[in-house]
Amino acid sequence: MNHRTTVFALAALLLAASAWAHHNMSALFDFKDRVTLTGTLTKMDWRNPHISVYVDAKIGDKVQPWSIEGPAPNFFRARDISKVDVEQAIGKIVTAEVSRARDGSNAGLLRTLNLPDGKVVSACPQNC
Amino acid sequence: MSAKLLSSLTVAALLLAPLSSQAQLPRDPVERARIISQIMETQSRQLTLFDRQGQTVGVVGPRDLYNQPVFSPDAKRMAVIKPDLDKETNDLWIIDVATAKGIQITSSKSREGANSPAWSPDGSQVAYVALRDGYFGLYRKASSGQGTEELLFKNSAPMTLTDWSQDGGHLTYFSTDLSGGGLYALPLNAQGERKPIEVLHSKSQLQGPRLSPDNRFMTFTSNEAGRFDVYAIRFDPAATTPATPVQISDQGGTGMVFWRRDGKELYYLAADRAIMAVEVGSGSTATFGKPTLLFRPPADIVAAIGPGNASVSRDGERFVIAVPRPQLRQLTIYDRQGKVVSTVGQPGFYNQPNLSPDGTRAVVMRNDPQSGDVDIWTIDLASGKGTPITDDVFPQNAPIWSPDGKQVAYVSTKDGFSGIYRKAADGTGEPELLFQYTPGAGMVLTDWSPDGKFLTFFTGVIVVVPIGDNKKGLERKEIDWLREDYDAGQGRFSPDNRYLAYLSNEENVDRGEVYVRPFDASRPEAPGPGDAVRVSLDGSIGMITWRQDGKELYFMTRNWEVMAVEVTTTPTFKAGEPRLLFSLPGPLPGNPMQWKNVSKDGDRFIFAMPTTTAPAAR
Repeated sequence: MNHRTTVFALAALLLAASAWAHHNMSALFDFKDRVTLTGTLTKMDWRNPHISVYVDAKIGDKVQPWSIEGPAPNFFRARDISKVDVEQAIGKIVTAEVSRARDGSNAGLLRTLNLPDGKVVSACPQNC
Repeated sequence: MSAKLLSSLTVAALLLAPLSSQAQLPRDPVERARIISQIMETQSRQLTLFDRQGQTVGVVGPRDLYNQPVFSPDAKRMAVIKPDLDKETNDLWIIDVATAKGIQITSSKSREGANSPAWSPDGSQVAYVALRDGYFGLYRKASSGQGTEELLFKNSAPMTLTDWSQDGGHLTYFSTDLSGGGLYALPLNAQGERKPIEVLHSKSQLQGPRLSPDNRFMTFTSNEAGRFDVYAIRFDPAATTPATPVQISDQGGTGMVFWRRDGKELYYLAADRAIMAVEVGSGSTATFGKPTLLFRPPADIVAAIGPGNASVSRDGERFVIAVPRPQLRQLTIYDRQGKVVSTVGQPGFYNQPNLSPDGTRAVVMRNDPQSGDVDIWTIDLASGKGTPITDDVFPQNAPIWSPDGKQVAYVSTKDGFSGIYRKAADGTGEPELLFQYTPGAGMVLTDWSPDGKFLTFFTGVIVVVPIGDNKKGLERKEIDWLREDYDAGQGRFSPDNRYLAYLSNEENVDRGEVYVRPFDASRPEAPGPGDAVRVSLDGSIGMITWRQDGKELYFMTRNWEVMAVEVTTTPTFKAGEPRLLFSLPGPLPGNPMQWKNVSKDGDRFIFAMPTTTAPAAR
């Protein structure tokens, strides 16, 4: 499900379009294939149409770099999660539950993100 | 809701979108209340009962944001999904048909919800899909509302429940995404962990599975043949390969396939939203008769009726439709004082009228009530004569004119890809693909640069597509012109090609404002130097349009006021004080973030105004 926010709520709800999903998530990610990743948050891109976070996840003895897509910035703003919250977690350990990319690459669609300060970011219902 | 199939920007873009309680509303209490009020005003529906002849035999309660009404087996109650916009939930209600008294059955947490109810054969329980703690599940609960809900099956992906078999043994549901669709039956009485039976899987969309009362057949809809039709397949839980489906509908079928309790008749909603009946023969091999028309829903609402807002009683005698407000629109031309200058042709299911550069024609989205298809048409404003630009089953939206008025461009979605196409404005010739976006991604096309070399669309990001080359559509790449952590959309090129006006919530997340920034065709990767100049003062919802001489800019406020601002573009952009031209009785249908509906001299404005008079004949 794709949803839109705030300023364009009129356009989104009342009038017409309802989302900026940059692409259909189910086309690229398998919602039935969930992976939990724990590792260091290395960087992020906090822009429309969706944010991205990058995690060096520890898988067994190896470290795998994962790129993780999330909803749009406003989705998080509505949940009291700011860009700064995630920025401050760079270099620290986070845990992310993702739906794995269908192409088998180290890419995922964010479902939940546990930040070092205890905040839990859920990307539901958009990415459920 | 089917937004999981494709972005609703793609599929339902610029039509009235299905209501979602989960769309995020402004947090400012005043703004939030205002938006909710407008949603209620435009999207509330009246639960209306019809007999087999299509006569209205009653209404149930007041208008509300009802969805997915389903009769109880004795037709004395109704299960219905109702969103709470403020709490951002969808919940299941049971409503007494005679008294309209309702009981809320589920209580979802914020941003969770229940949907797609199905009654147990004895009416004592209701099953539904619910999103709980990040997972979708099939649940059941007593229809009295007593007790707690019971999880029957947990699923990672969205699904839609459609029925509870007459023997009580199976729930039938479907799940679909861009990889294909599947029809499933969940055995309720099996020992151990419940495992769904995949009855059919296809690369096409499969929807609405319902078992015949004797469990021998499953009916469903599929678009495998290019349009949605109703099919039946033999239901054999032990089968290793699916049987061959038999087509039942003959003129398209969108869904709402219900079996009569005795299994001798079934019903469906045709492509033109007529309610159809099909006799079912008995015997070892079921035979399906030729579909016959029971009735057509009222003409002024027919375009907004779908499988998700209509159903049939088990005896086939009562039909309930969640009737929306009238959907017909009259193309209407206003002058600068807000006086109606003329109306154009007959009312129709029009949306997004945009004026041609010479002001003599409009390009519109037109919903054909006969086929249910949304196509692009041009309309001659003097005669009202319409010319189809597209005529196919693919959803089209966001039409705009070429700078010379000889062509129109629009977005069409085929095989999961949204693309921008252009075609001659007289409807001749073949469409040319100008650009194809990433799979499943939606876009709202908003302008074609005056030099003809760029298109612009938005996705929350303002994107430009260079087309002044000899490349093929599939070779072209988009360029992010304004990609930030705030929303930006409706890019509009200035007549001298040196600026883009746009809407964004850069300063206040709850409010869009009109801004202007330099556009450099030689460096389209970002706005030119200098800060954005804010043009609006107290919010805007779009309709950003430049006057041809570049000296005036128009936009619409949140209160449906048409505003004008004197501007200069040389040596730099400067804007004067916005002044009110006229107000319209909003909320208006459509998406103002795509409207380009002002004549080149700024003297005429065209809108698709709601009306209740008879629909236009094609």
